[in-house]
Amino acid sequence: MSGGRNGENVRRPQSPEGGRLRLAVDVGGTFIDLVMYDEGSGEVTVEKQPSSSADRADDFLAGLERLPERPADIDLLVHGTTVAINAVVQERGAKVGLLTTAGFRDVLAIGRGGRPEIYNFRYLPPEPLVPRYLRREVAERVAVDGSVLVPLDLSGLSDQVDTLLAEGVEAIVISFLHAYANPRHELLAAERVRAHAPHLPVTVSHQVVGEWREYERTSTAVMNGYVQPLFGGYLDTLVDRLRGVGYAEPLAIMQSNGGIAAAGRVSRLPVRTLMSGPAGGVIGAQALSRELGMPDIICADVGGTTYDVALIEGGRIVERSELKVDGRAVLMPSIDIVSIGAGGGSIASVDDLGCIQVGPDSAGADPGPACFGRGGDRPTVTDCHVLLGRLDTERFYGSRMPLDVAAAERAVREHVAGPAGLDPIAAARGVLAIAESNMTHAIRRMTVERGLDPRDFVLLSYGGGGGLFAAGVAGHLGVRRIVVPRGAANFSAWGMLGADYREDRMLTRVHDLDGPAARQLTKDLSALSDEVTATLGDYGFRPGAIDLEFHVDTRYRGQHHAVTVPLDAAWLGDADALVERVRHRFLELHTQLYGHGTADAPVEIVTARTRGYGRVKPVAWARPPAGRSPDPRTTRPVRFAETAETAEAHARTPVYDRDAIAPGRRISGPAVIEEWNNTVIVPPGWTAGADDMGNLELLTEETA
Amino acid sequence: MTGEQPTVDLVTAEIIRNGLVAAAQEMNSTLVRTAYNPLLFEVKDFGIAITSARGELWAEDPGQAVFSGCMPATIRNGLVKHGPDGFAEGDVLIVNDPYVSGTHISDTCIYMPVFHRGTLVAFAGVMAHWADVGGRTPGGWDADSTELYQEGKSFTYQRLYRAGVANDDLFDFIAHNVRFGEVVRGDIDAQIAACRQGVTRTRALCDRYGADAVERCMAEVIERTAKAMRRRVAELPDGRYSDSVDLDHDGVDKRTHVHLQVAVTVRGDRISMSFDGSSPMVTGPVNVPEIATRSAACAALKGVFAPLEQTNEGHLAFVDFDIPPGLVCSAARPAPCDSYGYVLVAATEVIQLALVDAVPERTRAGGCQLTGAFIYRPDPRDGTPFIAGEPVAGGHGAHPDADGATMPFFGSGDTQNLPAEVAETRYPLMCVRYAFDPGSAGAGAHRGGFGLLREYEMRGEGIYIKNAQESSHDPLGRGVHGGRSGRPSSLVVRPGTPDEAVTHDRLSAQGPLGPGDVVRLVASGGGGWGDPLDRDPGLVARDVRDEFVTAGQARETYGVVVTGSGGATAPDPAATAALRARLRTAADSDEEG
Repeated sequence: MSGGRNGENVRRPQSPEGGRLRLAVDVGGTFIDLVMYDEGSGEVTVEKQPSSSADRADDFLAGLERLPERPADIDLLVHGTTVAINAVVQERGAKVGLLTTAGFRDVLAIGRGGRPEIYNFRYLPPEPLVPRYLRREVAERVAVDGSVLVPLDLSGLSDQVDTLLAEGVEAIVISFLHAYANPRHELLAAERVRAHAPHLPVTVSHQVVGEWREYERTSTAVMNGYVQPLFGGYLDTLVDRLRGVGYAEPLAIMQSNGGIAAAGRVSRLPVRTLMSGPAGGVIGAQALSRELGMPDIICADVGGTTYDVALIEGGRIVERSELKVDGRAVLMPSIDIVSIGAGGGSIASVDDLGCIQVGPDSAGADPGPACFGRGGDRPTVTDCHVLLGRLDTERFYGSRMPLDVAAAERAVREHVAGPAGLDPIAAARGVLAIAESNMTHAIRRMTVERGLDPRDFVLLSYGGGGGLFAAGVAGHLGVRRIVVPRGAANFSAWGMLGADYREDRMLTRVHDLDGPAARQLTKDLSALSDEVTATLGDYGFRPGAIDLEFHVDTRYRGQHHAVTVPLDAAWLGDADALVERVRHRFLELHTQLYGHGTADAPVEIVTARTRGYGRVKPVAWARPPAGRSPDPRTTRPVRFAETAETAEAHARTPVYDRDAIAPGRRISGPAVIEEWNNTVIVPPGWTAGADDMGNLELLTEETA
Repeated sequence: MTGEQPTVDLVTAEIIRNGLVAAAQEMNSTLVRTAYNPLLFEVKDFGIAITSARGELWAEDPGQAVFSGCMPATIRNGLVKHGPDGFAEGDVLIVNDPYVSGTHISDTCIYMPVFHRGTLVAFAGVMAHWADVGGRTPGGWDADSTELYQEGKSFTYQRLYRAGVANDDLFDFIAHNVRFGEVVRGDIDAQIAACRQGVTRTRALCDRYGADAVERCMAEVIERTAKAMRRRVAELPDGRYSDSVDLDHDGVDKRTHVHLQVAVTVRGDRISMSFDGSSPMVTGPVNVPEIATRSAACAALKGVFAPLEQTNEGHLAFVDFDIPPGLVCSAARPAPCDSYGYVLVAATEVIQLALVDAVPERTRAGGCQLTGAFIYRPDPRDGTPFIAGEPVAGGHGAHPDADGATMPFFGSGDTQNLPAEVAETRYPLMCVRYAFDPGSAGAGAHRGGFGLLREYEMRGEGIYIKNAQESSHDPLGRGVHGGRSGRPSSLVVRPGTPDEAVTHDRLSAQGPLGPGDVVRLVASGGGGWGDPLDRDPGLVARDVRDEFVTAGQARETYGVVVTGSGGATAPDPAATAALRARLRTAADSDEEG
């Protein structure tokens, strides 16, 4: 952010591999999760702070005060923030001026033209974030090969910039055709804009994303400019306030790609944080995947309003290079996350057809589920759990929130059981079964699209409701092994502690895959690597401490979709070998994804991609003290699928304290395992045990 | 629905319904990712359906709305041909004859029976627009054929696989009778892969819940859906709602107009649809088989009454049809029908328009029709042959409470346009301009959506353009309740030069074009809703600010006087009130005069 202060605030970490004391602060819609980790002792401290006040920095600082250590003693602070995504969703961003190639100012509004609701005569696409009068055209034109067809009209540009300044824009975005092929015009324009308006943040499309497709690149750049003033202002304030309380180390910000970046860099590229909310949990899952030797994991984050699914395949997080935010395109490497409206607060109802529906409407945290007794009268998923005895009404949330069973029953009776002609218990069971089947479809969508079989995966279930749904969903999918991590409710913040610094660069150059193309690809990847290395170097990472990964989007000539093919660094020396290996790897992936491939059809390469990681020392948990008591703490009636014979046993379902379960001991379902903010259901047919890291592992009986 | 005794477990019913929809979505994803033909992975010109063993629609996930009713009808006709015992596990059937499957011959349906423990329980199918079906015209879409036999090879429920064994003779026949054989074969494999996905998922539901429960649950869901549709119909005042359009020529006999007359009759909770008064079958290929007419009518009604619900047989079965044979919308073999979309898309617009007065809160003013263009180079002596095309988005009609949108025509779906940066990589074309066409939108209290304007400059020799436009004689972007109509589409060759040629012809082919020649494709705009003099002056000022409307048009059309410029553009309330009063008086006296 030109003229901003974050850039100067970033000091080089003294020990880039990680500080002695690390803190993750994950700011969500209703709560701030804080997880502090002492590298020396492995000790972890977990705290929570409501994020209700208008001033986010205030809440952040209030959260810090709850911790046992002073901010001055913290060495690395990782921050997950929803400031950028909220600005887009609530359309509270800046007044942006957009400069485009003459003839193309409407591209941002036209988009790609589709109508996702195909039967809807009255579908209305999202409004562009920049109104037409602030989208100004400049005479210039670069051809597909990067050659200049029309030189940039600098004097016309100056007039347009003056017009935008007179309109009081707060940020300027430049997006010219084929700028990825030749950025010169965008750079010249940016220079001219800065000369006119040194105080304004400027986003230049090719610097945000080096990929083709003018709508998507423009939309990404516009979204960046749109959130930048708000986001930059927030980070400026936060860094200032943190310094005021003695924290002078760098602030690292969580990005959508699952890596962290310095606040100073992200404040110029806030679009990179848009989908970072669920990223922490997936990073944690990847760490756990290494630790447990489980390379293939389905990550399921059960929150208050959504159920978020991601995949770890062969130890790697599955990513995507494009996503939509509120119907608007963003080209940005991101963790591939499918989100459906099925969380603890999701509302159950009976629709116009008399069918039971769950979500996507949510009671949120306020008023919340009916059983919270805060005025909510619609039945939620959580209310159904309460009715079935799956949650301890006295000890819920560390006894901070007694649950009102009667209110839950009233809500379920009135809005679901009555209209559907069921008794409340059957209705509650039904709601959960429908929620579980919706969750199952979300997971299938992720796996099937990639030619993967969910049964080959371990289900890692976390978030506040992680333990409640795990076995039910796994049963539908045919998954036989589940892990519910220790501290499942704070798993996302915990995961952030282990996030590496990460930089991505990409460049589109469409070529038939042959010798000259391979040489060009090697050159391009090397240039992209230099940029990545330089940025990570600014954080204090020596080139030797940076891991680089290379990919190239590849397709058959004439195809539309490209497959992102991972490249081995060792291939880059020899162009002929590179051609053969890319072709071979592409054929393998194509066959896995699509079920077919042709060995000798012409292949095209489209976009070269480099990822750089500055590694942060992995988090090593202190082993929890081994469980003491083999006995259940108590019993209570819990409803499972049952027959007359089992009903009696279910009426006395044993309840265990999680910390009391000794590693190696296996508990047979039905059982409930509780920690202060998380409940794990072990249905009949499943067994549960703890590993020496404190994770719970559920296995089907035949697997155990 | 209190008091109603469900015959099945509603929870299981919901899970099965969602499970079948998810299965259809998995089929869609498999098809889009494996197809070779951009009409499938980009234009999404396909239908996906899972039906009962009797061919009742259980779930679908189509790319375009027209297929929802065609696929079950196709499968039912297959049951008639082969009999309920005529299918074996592992069979893969192929059918594209328009008179048993509804749409034009390029849309080829491949489907499989689903067996569970030896019993036929369902069908899973994909109807997809092939790259070629071996007709006179490469790629199909014959614009002036006079009989079906010219349009391509017909399949009528032959077996590509018989009980799991490939019928090599049939594959061989296809390979030797279509252009772009490799693409077609890739698409066949993609369709089969999608069907297999549907078979597997449907069978898994039967394994889990029992085939009988799946059947009973879906029967209940269909019944509830049909009842809900009838309840929505019952909310309409009884009456006969009709509208019509007088389309341009049929492609062969250019003197005639194709008339389409629609009447929707509501009596209590019954709705019936008639096309009496429409033209008889025509010589050119704009005839529509009755199956497609019914399907499009149901899609239009679903669009009005339940646009966001997952489609099942209940959305199709609640309508009573009375269509005598022999009309342009109930044609008989071997009438040509390769350009059936022209009449079909018009039919959906007219049905929607017929209901504007009955249910204003669920409808909109008139919108764009089917338009499209191909730019191509046929002769390798001029350079590498290519064919470039894209679905064209136009203006949709205004809503009673919102301006119209710019999108693909109704009937097309989530189809994407071609980025200039991608087009220029593939073809010897340079995109000069891609913009809203401000003059295209119909004015109104809420105005219509804008048509899009695209200009390409040729960067090589021997290039031709062929385009299909909507009717200019009686355009469908109609304004309602005093709103003005949108402007129909046009094609301009070499605009701004002495050789400029503007055409509104429904069908035109021009060329050869050479380096530096420009073509301008302009899609039509949507109709306005309500009197422009009633438009919020603030919105008019906004349109002036955004250069959609000039200050002069604001005065003349909307009676709004604006002051200032750019972000400071604002209506002058006093001057606007005075001007509007004057214009209204003038209009009244015009009427009296």
